[in-house]
Amino acid sequence: MELFVERLLAGLTNGSVYALLALALVVVYRATGTLNFAQGELALFTTFVAWWLTTLDAPVWVAIVAALIVGFVLGAAIERLLIRPVQRKNDMAVLIVALGLFTGLNSLAGLLWGSETKIMPSPFPNGLDDYVSVFGARLYGDALGVWAALIVLLGLMTLLFRRTRIGLHMRAVAANPESAALAGVRTGRILMVGWGLSGAIGALAGVLVTPLAPEQLGLTTMFHIFIAASAAALFGGLDSLPGAVVGGLTIGVLEALLSGYVSFIGGELQQTSALLIIVAILFIRPNGLFGSKRTVRV
Amino acid sequence: MTVLAPAARPQAAAPRTKYVIVENSPVHHAIRAACIAVAALGVLWASQLAPFRVGQFTTVFIMAIAIIGLNLVTGYTGLLSIGHSAFFGLGAYTTGVLIVKLEFAPLATIPIAMALTFVLGLLVGLPSLRIHGLYLALVTLAVAVAFPEIVRKLESLTGGAAGMVVRSRYLAPPEWTGLVRAQRGIWMFWLSAFVLVLVMILSRSLIRSRFGLMMRTVRDHEIAAAANGVGIARTKILVFGISGAITGLAGALFTMYIGALSPDGSFTLLKAIELVTGLVLGGVATQLGPLIGALAVVFLPYYTASFTTGPLSGVLFGAVLIALCFLMPEGIAGRLGLLIRRVVTVVPKDHPAPPR
Repeated sequence: MELFVERLLAGLTNGSVYALLALALVVVYRATGTLNFAQGELALFTTFVAWWLTTLDAPVWVAIVAALIVGFVLGAAIERLLIRPVQRKNDMAVLIVALGLFTGLNSLAGLLWGSETKIMPSPFPNGLDDYVSVFGARLYGDALGVWAALIVLLGLMTLLFRRTRIGLHMRAVAANPESAALAGVRTGRILMVGWGLSGAIGALAGVLVTPLAPEQLGLTTMFHIFIAASAAALFGGLDSLPGAVVGGLTIGVLEALLSGYVSFIGGELQQTSALLIIVAILFIRPNGLFGSKRTVRV
Repeated sequence: MTVLAPAARPQAAAPRTKYVIVENSPVHHAIRAACIAVAALGVLWASQLAPFRVGQFTTVFIMAIAIIGLNLVTGYTGLLSIGHSAFFGLGAYTTGVLIVKLEFAPLATIPIAMALTFVLGLLVGLPSLRIHGLYLALVTLAVAVAFPEIVRKLESLTGGAAGMVVRSRYLAPPEWTGLVRAQRGIWMFWLSAFVLVLVMILSRSLIRSRFGLMMRTVRDHEIAAAANGVGIARTKILVFGISGAITGLAGALFTMYIGALSPDGSFTLLKAIELVTGLVLGGVATQLGPLIGALAVVFLPYYTASFTTGPLSGVLFGAVLIALCFLMPEGIAGRLGLLIRRVVTVVPKDHPAPPR
């Protein structure tokens, strides 16, 4: 029982991280209708920025805020300078630019800060004694912090999309850019804000996860998280915020339980199981479990 | 969905060209023969170089075969794939395992490697029926990521993370070639060149066939294709199978050339990105694009590495990829084709010559 609860909690914590990055993917999708393949590496890069600031004796909270700002600016700049000029051409051009960013950002982080593993301090209490006991299992402070961040972010994002003008504009642009532009929405600015927001959310995911990740902050830290987050975002159909969260948590928990109880999968087939989840979901429901139906006009 | 390939379509500017050549006329044949002769001389010249250079060209040929496979799916059918490293890897490991565990002759493993990668291609093609564009890229990305994990997991067969070594005595040239074991380099050079030519001819005929036409209609307008009686599902799945088999063939040759396999060496997502880069750099949906792209991805890192090392070359790689999208979206072969078409037009025989 204790072991089960422990695995469940660990799964929920990992799942929250996946959900955070999945939210970033969903924001880009809802604002621009494309997928950002470089999302994980963008998050990695901003996390490195935060880590670098902490080595300069900046308080961890300041470093996180700085990372969020860098994430926003980078995201917006990427949209404006790299994605927008090619997006009109087609999906392939967007994919190539994203793959370029993927390798470029990863290597840039390695170039600037070296490839050895870094220790990112946690903004939450994460000492050995900072835990709450749940059914005998230990729930540490930084895990709780990630959960809290996810809940707050989900709330804020829902408010943004449902209650604010800019959120309405984002939905309008994603649904039909031309009509939105005709109705007076400044589509360019909205797209930039969308990418900027997702950059900032990715940065948040990055700084919160690395203190928890077994491999800490290295050049490959974000990779698995990105794969799992895409599975999570697809699970929810890419356009549903709660869907991304449910997807993230489901994948996190499934992963923890499978690797804990099914010895064949162990810790080594994590990516493969995420792959199988993606394919299975897309096969059963191409629009995801929470996704809205898209109709194609001939 | 369309693909980056404005160059693949004949330009409307035909009347402005200086020379008009009638297809299959003596002049056309002569030019074609001259091109083939130049290419043959080029290969002969390359085979005389130092062993290290011969090895580099062998790598180019193998990469070109792999990229031709990718070109069929991504270039001509418009199905984005960043999972082709898995086909390359499955082909390579099939050959490796058959030679090491069952003592197959290297050449005899090729059909089996191709059959297996064909089947894997059919499986990876299945999602393409319901998933489009970037989502398909995401699924294939996951395939690329899963492959090294599975190889590591199947340790008893593949040697796991430690990798697998094929002893060079297994890889000696067959006796009928008259080459001895020490001449493995030159044997692999000619074998790869031969297979590359074969694959190029095959891919050219495939693209020009009825099936190739179906591939391109699926790419250009799926709904219109379906309305005209193209079996979308059959076309997509079959193309993925063929593409997988060709890339798997490249993988099989790779094992015979390199003799040592490891999951993290050549079969990761980075390899898949390298294949895509080669395709885009050379020219999507062009006949010569894969070869030019392979030359670029083999030689460029080699030369940039001579003045930069490690991460900086990764940054350059990414920057080149992005710059290409802006400066030369049609790739080198596509751009060359555009330039040539400005000077020369080839028209079919039964077609009136365009007015001067």
